[in-house]
Amino acid sequence: MPACGPSSAGEPMPLVNFTAREITCKLVYYGPGRCGKTTNLQYIHGRVPEHRRGTMVSLATQADRTLFFDFLPLELGIISGFTTRFQLYTVPGQVYYNATRRLVLQGADGVVFVVDSQARRFDDNLESFQNLQENLLDQGVDVRQLPLVLQYNKQDLPPDLILTPAELDDAFNFRAVPSLAADALHGTGVFETLKALSGLVLERLAARPPAT
Amino acid sequence: MRAIEPWVEPPLSAFLAESAARVTLLMTASGQVVAQHGFTRSLDVMAAAALGAGIVASTTELARIMGTASLGNASHQGAAMGIFLSPFDTPRGRWIALVVYGPETSLGLVQLFFGRMVADLAGAAPAAPKAGPVLAENFEAELNASLRSLFGR
Repeated sequence: MPACGPSSAGEPMPLVNFTAREITCKLVYYGPGRCGKTTNLQYIHGRVPEHRRGTMVSLATQADRTLFFDFLPLELGIISGFTTRFQLYTVPGQVYYNATRRLVLQGADGVVFVVDSQARRFDDNLESFQNLQENLLDQGVDVRQLPLVLQYNKQDLPPDLILTPAELDDAFNFRAVPSLAADALHGTGVFETLKALSGLVLERLAARPPAT
Repeated sequence: MRAIEPWVEPPLSAFLAESAARVTLLMTASGQVVAQHGFTRSLDVMAAAALGAGIVASTTELARIMGTASLGNASHQGAAMGIFLSPFDTPRGRWIALVVYGPETSLGLVQLFFGRMVADLAGAAPAAPKAGPVLAENFEAELNASLRSLFGR
C-alpha cells in the first residue's frame, strides 16, 4: 500500500491509501494577523453537520489570537471510490510567529491566502504573501506548482475603507489563480473558497502520473 | 485497532499486548494518521494526530534553535494516566507515536516495548508497491456534490 506524503523532491501530495481507498488532504489558511483565517474555520465548523466534522482545535492566546494553529478535520465522503478527508489548518498571522507558521505549512497540499481587503492593511498583506513564498521555498516547494487560492476578505466593509477585488488582483494575483471576494464573518465566499482549493488539490492529484 | 497499512498491524498488536497501553496512535510527521487503537470517534483521532505532530515539530525546531540534536521522546505523567510521544524512523519515512497508558503499566514498560515495535516495524515494511489511478473522470461532479452536502447547499 503506497502512502503518498511529501515527495522526495519536496512537492507535497495528499496522503493516498490505495488499500483502504482513503485520501487525506492538508489545506492551510495563510495571511496576516486578524485577516479572518480563524473566522473561516469557525464558519465552516458552524455550518458543517456534526457527523461530517471533527473537533475544532484552537491553540490560541488569552486574547484569542492564534498561537500555533487552528485545526478542523472534515469528512467529504466518497469521491470516485475514495473516502476523502480534509484537514484544515490556520497559521498564526503575527509577524513574530514565523517559526510556528513554518511548521504548520510543512506538508500542505494547498493554501488559501486570506487577504484583508482594508486599504490600510495592504502592506501587511504584502509582507505575509512574501513570507508565504519564502517559507515554501525554504521547504523546497515550488510556489508555482502548489495549489493556491486568494480570498479577499472583509469585502462587506464600507467601500472607502477597502480595495476592490480587481485592485487586489492587480497587486497579488500575478499567477492568475482563483480569487474570491468574501465576508468570512457572515459566510460569504467561505464555501466557495474551500471548494476552489479542494478542486485544485484533487485535480492535481488526478493529474499526477502513477508512481513507479 | 485500525491500521491503513496492514503490515503495521502485527508489530502494533504485539506492542499493545505487551505494554498494556490504552491508546496508541501512529502518524506521519505531518500528522497524517497511519494506525490507531483505543479511540472511540474517528475524527478525534485526527485532532490528536495534529496536536501530537505539532508538539514534535515544535520540539524539534526548539532543539534546532538551541543548537542541540533532537530532544527525543516526550512524556507527561498525570495523576491517572501518562502520555508518551516519540518520533521514530521507518522505511516509509519519519513517523510519530502517541501512547496513552494507565496505572496498569509504566513509562518504562511502554518505552521498552516501544523500542521493540520500532525494530519490528523496520523489519516488516514491504517495498512500496505501485500506485494505481487515483480518481475517475467524474470526480469533479462527485467533489461538488460532496461539498454541497457538506455545506447543506
